[in-house]
Amino acid sequence: MSKTLDRMQAIFRDVLDDDGLILGPEMTAEDVETWDSLSHINLITGIEEEFGVKFTTAEVASLKCVQDLAVLVEKKLAPKP
Amino acid sequence: MNFTSFEFLAFLVVAVFLYRLCPLRWRPALLLVLSYTFYLTWMPKAALLLAGMSGLTFFAVRSSGTGGRIAPALILLLVGCLAAFKIALLFPAHGIAGLVMPLGISYYTFKLISYVLDVHWGKTSPEPSLIRFAAYVSFFPQIVAGPIQRPADFFSQLPSGRSSLWAAVPRIAWGFTKKLLIADNLAPTVSYVYAHTHSLQGLPLLMGFYLFPLQLYADFSGLTDIAIGVGRLFGINGPENFNRPFTASTITAYWRRYHMSLSSWIGDYVFTPLRMATRAAGNLGLAFSITVNMVAIGLWHGLTSGFLVFGLLHSFYINAEAFASRWRTRFFKSHPKWNVPGDLVGCFFTFHLAALSLVFFRCVHVSDAFWLLGHLTIGWANLSSFLVSVQSEISLRNLAIGLLGYVVLELGERFRPDLWVRSMSDSAPRWLRWSFYFATAVTLAFGLSLLVLHAGQARSQFIYEIF
Repeated sequence: MSKTLDRMQAIFRDVLDDDGLILGPEMTAEDVETWDSLSHINLITGIEEEFGVKFTTAEVASLKCVQDLAVLVEKKLAPKP
Repeated sequence: MNFTSFEFLAFLVVAVFLYRLCPLRWRPALLLVLSYTFYLTWMPKAALLLAGMSGLTFFAVRSSGTGGRIAPALILLLVGCLAAFKIALLFPAHGIAGLVMPLGISYYTFKLISYVLDVHWGKTSPEPSLIRFAAYVSFFPQIVAGPIQRPADFFSQLPSGRSSLWAAVPRIAWGFTKKLLIADNLAPTVSYVYAHTHSLQGLPLLMGFYLFPLQLYADFSGLTDIAIGVGRLFGINGPENFNRPFTASTITAYWRRYHMSLSSWIGDYVFTPLRMATRAAGNLGLAFSITVNMVAIGLWHGLTSGFLVFGLLHSFYINAEAFASRWRTRFFKSHPKWNVPGDLVGCFFTFHLAALSLVFFRCVHVSDAFWLLGHLTIGWANLSSFLVSVQSEISLRNLAIGLLGYVVLELGERFRPDLWVRSMSDSAPRWLRWSFYFATAVTLAFGLSLLVLHAGQARSQFIYEIF
């Protein structure tokens, strides 16, 4: 999980233009001033590119915090049985 | 039963009394009965539509469940119904005689759509009780003009054993003060200017330009304060709708502070799906999504050319800001001493850009708006003759009370004296707590006496009631 968060943190820092941002699992858009609905999809596309995954609108709409996003990424990366 | 009428206050006292006596498990049903009683006093026929739409949505979602295929058809139906009323209003001569907008349809339709989509996306599970669901859709404090509460937020608070009188009453009194003391005193001047636009030049037009945003904010945020306060009497904390919008230093920030429950709704249910669908198209997709988003906010108010221009202007502002935002952030990061002056200049421009868009929002015809904007700087030489001619139409006393009240409003919302008192209320000595209670009672009595003073005059409607 922490490795996923580290890679996500680099994307967040770049998209939100904040080099000092420390990504916590409980963090939400309300905690970061520049994280609004405009930058939200930029974060999503950044993470899609970084991890080589694709999200659906329903998945994005259901996210509540950073942890949800990390879990979703790991679920998509997990090898299919 | 207008919020600022004695009938409503009497209804409220009885309703709160009954609600507090009622056992918890019957409270949703009582709330439903109270909400429909309130609605029936406005528009008995439209209550059938409200009940029909609520029932249809409830059963359709329950039968299809999470991820069901019914969501797109249901949303098309809900949006179609709302649009049909908005279109019919544009052609009164050809429409159904005596047709009026069903009270709150723009607000409760949005509540229904958010429920359908939240269940469809798996964000929330279908509500099992029809009574609780119908109580959510028709919740009377929010039906007149919002705020638009999300279903999960509402259901998690219903039924509530807690209802805080002291969090509710001051908020209601503050709302009454904003409406009756500020908005209604600014209203006659604004109405005069916008009713005689083509015969005016210079100062009066400039007054219309500056006063309408203040009137609108006092009126609409006052209405929201009453709605949130009344909701708290029944243990429901509604979402905030305003956060001092005229202190925003960009238009993007302005929309995070102005009519927040609508802008976040459109953000979640229009912008996000569109942006997801167009994300492969890069900046073009972004520009398209912003434009649709802001035009949707404009047209939600009504399908007129004025609201369309309002939406287009905001989509232009936000597109410009979105494409300059990276540059802007970097500039202020590398020039920190420019932060404060930058914010001040930003506030100044944001207010004026918002006021410019509100000229189109307020004018009946787009041509009036162009006249107003084109004649702001001329005719200042005839000022004395203008002042003489409008003496009977515009009361300078009302205007002064309204403006002074507006200054108090901004200071009150900046320094929030109510929060100081609440933060020390637990540890404070009894005499201090009771002084606060006393001050609140005086404020309420002041609000009520304002009501009495106004009772003889034709009370103006809330601006956002008609949407």
